[in-house]
Amino acid sequence: MILRKRKAGTIGLNLTSMIDVVFLLLIYFMVATEFKTAEESFPMDMPMRQHGQTITLDDEPLVILVESAGTKLEDIRVRLEGPWDPIASLAELSSFLRSNKATGFGRNGLFAESHPILLKPTGSTRWEHAIAAYNVVVNAKYTNISLDEPS
Amino acid sequence: MARRGNPTSAINANMTPMIDVTFLLIVFFVVVSQIVDRDAVSMDLPAPQQSAAGIPEEPLHVTVNLLPLEGGNIADIVVGDHTIGKDALDELTAIVRTHLQGGATEVHLRADKSTRYTHIHRVIEAIRDVGTTPRLQLVVNGEIR
Repeated sequence: MILRKRKAGTIGLNLTSMIDVVFLLLIYFMVATEFKTAEESFPMDMPMRQHGQTITLDDEPLVILVESAGTKLEDIRVRLEGPWDPIASLAELSSFLRSNKATGFGRNGLFAESHPILLKPTGSTRWEHAIAAYNVVVNAKYTNISLDEPS
Repeated sequence: MARRGNPTSAINANMTPMIDVTFLLIVFFVVVSQIVDRDAVSMDLPAPQQSAAGIPEEPLHVTVNLLPLEGGNIADIVVGDHTIGKDALDELTAIVRTHLQGGATEVHLRADKSTRYTHIHRVIEAIRDVGTTPRLQLVVNGEIR
């Protein structure tokens, strides 16, 4: 068999088709990608409701009233139900929760970590304000948090 | 002027650096891309400061979306493939119950940050009416860390 001699020149793969596909992929990802922060969540256990039965709590819950005074995040108003010193802001709520915690934060306060905390937004409270208050309680490392019916 | 050159060889651009960069870009986009949760309707979720929320694990779950209207009201409720009226809470309970019986263990609640709590509470109560004890996840926007 007679083998033909290749002409002088570089030996190379034909990359055209691969580059076509690679560019298509690149364009697809560039168009389809949307940069946004991932969603997170607060877990909330919901006790089962059975008709004719009421749930009894071991401890008297700490009730936190949440209201909206405007549409901005800082327009939140929080109050404590009961014989506590008045609080005016989320920062003060955070401070109260931490300083009255039985363990942690270097304190020996009244409330155990599992003490029931009841958040009580009004019917017109914005969801972001209810969540902001919920977040403060979670940040203070309380574990037994519930959302009550609107006050 | 006479031009020198090898008439037998093709003139080729050096593609190697371009392919390198292109592959890097593709790898970047593949890594950062996240398949969109088709159950999640686009809305302006609450974004608390110094959020203590965590990224939810991904067990089987059913997502309840409260479609927002102006003034903190809700238009409809979207659960999976179903769109139901805001007052059809019995239907919501039935759909969530079906999902939970089908293996879902969590209910993800997504509501716009402007939604009034009265609507949220009615939906939570409807979910509670399912009768089992689903774990509810209150979905918020994550912080850029």
